[in-house]
Amino acid sequence: MSDKEEKRALTALQAALAAEHAAVYGYGVVGGRIREGRRTEARSAYDAHRARRDVLVREVRDLGGKPVAAAAGYALPFPVPDSEAAVRLAAELEDRVAGVYSDLVRAAVGERRTLATEALREAAVRAVRWRGESVAFPGLAERAATATASASATATAAPAPTA
Amino acid sequence: MPYPPPPRTPSGPRRRTLLASAAGAALLVGCTSGSGDSDSEESTGGSPSVAERARTRAARDSRGIVEHYDAVLAAHPTLTDRLSPLRAEAVRHVEAFGATGSAGATASASESASASASGTGAPTPAVAVPVNEKDALVELATAERVLADARAKALLDMPGELARLLASVAAAGAAHAYLLTEGAK
Repeated sequence: MSDKEEKRALTALQAALAAEHAAVYGYGVVGGRIREGRRTEARSAYDAHRARRDVLVREVRDLGGKPVAAAAGYALPFPVPDSEAAVRLAAELEDRVAGVYSDLVRAAVGERRTLATEALREAAVRAVRWRGESVAFPGLAERAATATASASATATAAPAPTA
Repeated sequence: MPYPPPPRTPSGPRRRTLLASAAGAALLVGCTSGSGDSDSEESTGGSPSVAERARTRAARDSRGIVEHYDAVLAAHPTLTDRLSPLRAEAVRHVEAFGATGSAGATASASESASASASGTGAPTPAVAVPVNEKDALVELATAERVLADARAKALLDMPGELARLLASVAAAGAAHAYLLTEGAK
């Protein structure tokens, strides 16, 4: 890879890592609100995102970067008082993660691109599990705009760092 | 007194940025394939002709999936409510691969036309559908999953923007497979 390509890959890796930090935080909230019947599913998603986060930390270091840290706190995109909202939050978290991984697919090559492709797929399947319905282009906010006109809302709906 | 300018919605700039980058990407592919020049984006992953062939192939593969949905729907009309949204997404996949290809909008229009024509017109003998509804769904799910797996491998050799699209469509296929088998239980 050229320096420019490495830099691009590193930027995308850091963005993915930041999104995984937010997802781990978000699933902590989901786990506290979601009904018993779906708690195992939330737990395994939480574990999956932690594992992805750890992989990304290593990938960033491999490229000589300093892995972005988790924020001290995150503002949720909407109040999560009950199980129904927790399910909606989980789906949003997966949408957000899918978005950063599609960017990583574009920026990376080789094994990193494979990693991103798999992570995008897992996020898309989990989003469908939570939501019960699919979208045509998981992770591509610009193509979601024609369907729902909410691309920009979706893109910013994930927990935002507050500190 | 003149009216103040309309307030800008916070989402405006972001949306425009996204649209602009998408349009730029389409333009990039179009110019590259037309002139034969190899710019940095294309040269990172493969030659324009490789990408061009991959697009054509991807459009054809998605059309095959649409036809599979049509065959299942023809044999099992009771599945219409369930399958129609998934079929519609597969049609959008065909269009996505066609619309940014070398022939541009014309190709996409004819492709989507033929895709929808095969839906309303002649039955597709290419796909033999099991008489059992559940088996039909499992087969359809398998077709989606196999294609998603193949795309996940193929995109490794593609230029960045096309790889991103292929990865997204592969993820959608895997999600379809999940929805199809979940209901087949």
